[in-house]
Amino acid sequence: MAFTASAPATGQSSKARRALPRALWPWLLLLPAFLSLASVSFYPIVNGLYLSLTNRSLITQDNDFIGFANYVQLFNDPAFWNAWRHTIWFTFASTVLETLIGLGMALILCEAFSGRGVIRAAMLVPWAMPTVVTSKMFGWLFDGQHGVINFILLHLGLIDQNVNWYGSPDTALLTIILADVWKTTPFMALLLLTGLQTVPKSLIEAARMDGAKAWIIFWNIRLPLLLPTLLIAGLFRALDAFRVFDLVYVLTGGGPADSTETLSTLSYKVLFSTLQFGYGSAVSTAMFVTEGLIAVVFCLFLVRQIRKTT
Amino acid sequence: MSDIKKAPSRSNSLSNSMMIDRRRLLMGAAGAAVGAAALGVTSGLGMGSARAAGRTEISFASASFFGKEGLGDLVKAFNESQDRIMVKFIELPPPSSSTEVYQGLIQQLARRNGTPDVFTQDVVWIAGFAAAGWALPLDEYFPKDKRTDYFPGTVAACTYNEKLTALPWFVDSGMFYYRKDLVEKHGGKVPETWDDMATMAAAAQKAGDAKFGYLWQGKQAEVLICDAVEIITSNNGSILAPDGKSSVVGDKAAVEAIQFLHDTIGKTKISPQNVLSWDEEPSRQPFTSGEAMFMRNWSYVYPIAQDAKASQVVDKVAVAPLPHFAGGKSAACLGGYQLGVNANSKKREAAIEFLTWMSSPETQTRLALNFGLAPSRPAIFEDAKLKAEQPFMASLQSVFTGATPRPITPQYAKVTLALQSSISKALVSGDVKTELEAAAAQINKIVA
Repeated sequence: MAFTASAPATGQSSKARRALPRALWPWLLLLPAFLSLASVSFYPIVNGLYLSLTNRSLITQDNDFIGFANYVQLFNDPAFWNAWRHTIWFTFASTVLETLIGLGMALILCEAFSGRGVIRAAMLVPWAMPTVVTSKMFGWLFDGQHGVINFILLHLGLIDQNVNWYGSPDTALLTIILADVWKTTPFMALLLLTGLQTVPKSLIEAARMDGAKAWIIFWNIRLPLLLPTLLIAGLFRALDAFRVFDLVYVLTGGGPADSTETLSTLSYKVLFSTLQFGYGSAVSTAMFVTEGLIAVVFCLFLVRQIRKTT
Repeated sequence: MSDIKKAPSRSNSLSNSMMIDRRRLLMGAAGAAVGAAALGVTSGLGMGSARAAGRTEISFASASFFGKEGLGDLVKAFNESQDRIMVKFIELPPPSSSTEVYQGLIQQLARRNGTPDVFTQDVVWIAGFAAAGWALPLDEYFPKDKRTDYFPGTVAACTYNEKLTALPWFVDSGMFYYRKDLVEKHGGKVPETWDDMATMAAAAQKAGDAKFGYLWQGKQAEVLICDAVEIITSNNGSILAPDGKSSVVGDKAAVEAIQFLHDTIGKTKISPQNVLSWDEEPSRQPFTSGEAMFMRNWSYVYPIAQDAKASQVVDKVAVAPLPHFAGGKSAACLGGYQLGVNANSKKREAAIEFLTWMSSPETQTRLALNFGLAPSRPAIFEDAKLKAEQPFMASLQSVFTGATPRPITPQYAKVTLALQSSISKALVSGDVKTELEAAAAQINKIVA
């Protein structure tokens, strides 16, 4: 848009430029941006959608259009629904936990105390760590034989024998959720902290003058004003958690008994181990659709919230 | 293989400086390819350059193996051994990145432009490559009488639809590690049946000599299929019917075998529940730290067990063929890489000549001595030099004789995922029959 102001100044001298209708210029200048976006974003999505309607496989060399057959197969595939449920559960549990704990951390870090800067920086370490490293670390922490967690729980008398965290379908996904919470809570805390800092101090001071307790201030002033940030942070986190791959891939590979299989690990296996690009793309498209639905739900809440406050 | 990396080079035909240069060249695939070409030229310096130009040029793609030397050195040795063929080496990632090697190979083969002319492949890919029409049938070049020089299991794995589509190169297989001192104390004879093994392991555990009786790999991963193939075959069972068109994994033999594995955790209690989340390394660690009596694993464990820095059981460990069920025969899951020729290769004769050389007794001996890769020819295990330098490898002949291929089907990748899921479920829930029958039904749909 800035162009329309500057174009007449620079454009007058050139005949060629004058020859073009004015209305065309903005589009022409937008073209490179559009082309680059289209090539890296639209094309892969459209091609993925198209692939999901074919039976393309590198191994069998099939490449025919088969309509919605992949989706019919997907709908009847227990492995897909199993992974879908795990992914939804993982997304829900990790997002809720990370938001709650992150909020607590943000509230503490919002207060003035000595060494706050150092703590704020230190808090980000887990988030800055490569996930594969986190995975290995949690692998050792929760190791069934020599893990520190078992050692501590055993000595506290909370368990009477070593728990096989990753080897039992009851605890494997839970442990992975814990690892994700440890890793990503700081990110939530940081986002919420910036949100908290935008809450006008005058409002809080006024409430204090009126004799409001800390809890009342939080519930009636901070939280409502933080809600848009909370929703946006939650949306980010949920969409990110939905794609969980590295933690599962490194720690359990989807096992035991498929109890930690998520959509990302399933689509990786279908796409890259069995090289069924058609069916794999259908799995990915189903992921894409589910993510879209999650985003829509969040956005509906967000829009309602913004309407309410403005 | 790590033993080779650490071991001082005792006899080496190559000069040290040359080896260092070669190592550096092996850093990357591109580097190696350029290196091989450059060395090819230098090897024929001066008058040789004209000769090099007249050679038939072929390409060879392989996962990168190395020990005292790399595959580039092997290719160079071939280029120097004759003056008709010039091989260009295309280096793929190391075998530990198996999925990437697989993808890399398929991308090249699917182009059907004849590159690479010769390649190496994991045993489980052979049927897929053959079914896709990428691998040249080798029957006319290697008639049946020539194939008796190799371990029968390896030849079986190289055969698809009664056609030989790969040539054996090197082998590895599952094997039974045991603690000599503990076996001595609890009966003195290495157990030959699974039941004897369980009894002995339980006795050692009870006496407090070992924390764990038997360690295996139950993680929902490829290794679980290897463990399963071994124990099922040792009960005269199988995963696929002989014609490869249906699955028999729901049959009694397979169910009994997987039930035995399930029982090691819950009933005989000779294995910790942790094996359900363990692959090779996590199961190796308690063994080499002296906590276990028996273990199923690959050949790489032995050098670690003999390394005083990493092991509490130096000189206390030996290897035997895996146990079997009464009335069955010991079976070991076959691993290793085998050679293939691109069906679209335009230089077939040259490719076959290189292939023959790569699989020859001389080259296989060199692979054993310098790379730590075990020969697919039983005769080499009698080699005096191999016995002197690699006594452990030389002792493995009986283990490899029982090596059994995993299901031979072009749909192996799908079959293994279905099996991994079902067997893991069977081991966790204990409802072995139901899960394996479900697996059989699923596999029937895949291979039909």
